[in-house]
Amino acid sequence: MNVVVKYGLRFLLLVALQALVLNQLEPGFGIHLMVYPLLIVLLPFEIGTISLMLIAFLMGILIDAFSNTYGLHASSAVVIAYFRPLIFKALAPRDGYDPLKEGNSYEMGFRWFLYTFGLILFIHHLWFFLLEIFRFNELLFVVQKTVFSLPFSFLLCLIIQAMIVSKPKER
Amino acid sequence: MRNLFAFFRRFRVFLVFILMQIFALTTYFSFLQYPRAQYLTTASTVAGKTMALRNELTKHFNLGKSNSALQRENKFLREQLPQSFQRLQYGLVKINDTLFKQQYEYIPGTVINSTVTKRNNYFTLNIGEAQGIKRGMGVFSDKGVVGIIHNVSNHFSVVKSVLTEEINIDVMIEPIGLFGLLKWNGEDARRGTISGISNDMKIKKWSKVVTRGGSGIFPRGIMVGKIEKLKPVEGKPLWDVVIRFSENYNSLQRVYVIKNLMQEEQEELESNIPPDDEE
Repeated sequence: MNVVVKYGLRFLLLVALQALVLNQLEPGFGIHLMVYPLLIVLLPFEIGTISLMLIAFLMGILIDAFSNTYGLHASSAVVIAYFRPLIFKALAPRDGYDPLKEGNSYEMGFRWFLYTFGLILFIHHLWFFLLEIFRFNELLFVVQKTVFSLPFSFLLCLIIQAMIVSKPKER
Repeated sequence: MRNLFAFFRRFRVFLVFILMQIFALTTYFSFLQYPRAQYLTTASTVAGKTMALRNELTKHFNLGKSNSALQRENKFLREQLPQSFQRLQYGLVKINDTLFKQQYEYIPGTVINSTVTKRNNYFTLNIGEAQGIKRGMGVFSDKGVVGIIHNVSNHFSVVKSVLTEEINIDVMIEPIGLFGLLKWNGEDARRGTISGISNDMKIKKWSKVVTRGGSGIFPRGIMVGKIEKLKPVEGKPLWDVVIRFSENYNSLQRVYVIKNLMQEEQEELESNIPPDDEE
């Protein structure tokens, strides 16, 4: 499948899922499920940071338009797009990244995915809730929301990844 | 000059990052205060249409509840129809009523998008300018007050709900008529607070809280909730009043937008109040 079509479909799917379903769900305990960071980790390794940030910004602002958050998702998405190259560099495998592979848990191994995506998701959630609440005397509430949302977002992302990424064939 | 270009080339990623952040954060923080444009909100055509479609799909889940709410309201209104009164006096000539003049009109609408757990919660309605909605009009449901219209497009509008930080609706505590401003602390969608209630008056628990109708946005006496807890504020002669909202904003569907026919008159009169001279 053409690369643009492939990522375009994933982009649309994640934006629709986030804007129309997940932003309407309110499971309580301050949990807010967010899955669109998955696209940012799945985008090809050799993509430039600026185009990565542009895609992230577009995705965020689209989600914002559907949930009346006016730039909150856009800001968080751009933050993780900015940090992605740094995190990838810090957690690179010994012989670097294979440009034919992509950053999913099948091709890079679950361990790599757990660390990388976990860190990206953590930065995203922390930034998002910090901005949303924006009060220093409620830092505890920010931490609560982040800690409670993180594992559920991660699990949901794993499930979505299993649906949209095809497993490589056995050698 | 060359150094400048070299600088830009070197830090271009960071500069683009900063630019995007500035754009996103200024829209975020300025929209919270005052809406400038309709695009990028659910009042825009595309997002509004999508939300209307989504509501079309999911509204049936609440059908039972909203039906019984409508039925209750119908019963109440039916009881006020002329047919349900027995006429006590006959033979009087009916004249045009000059004692009462209509001050408020109500425009019915449906909530097509809403949240309750965010720090600032906005609701989208399926009515807009075409139905006569304007910025600043009040919104309520059959059970209680909902919010104030924040942003309007042709066919949709966004309501700044009671569940936002700076909602500040004029409310009063029913039997004694004490008034204060309604606030929300951002955590519990079932509870709000009232500020500015002085503690020299005895207040009973579970007394009703209704709108005061001071600013002409809401008529007097729309239900807000009931007082659940009273705590003295330390060092000030004030009560910290916690109220329980009478409306459950989780399952809000049908609302009414209030059109005050005498708003301009009141505003004109009040603009003549001389401003305080401060030394």
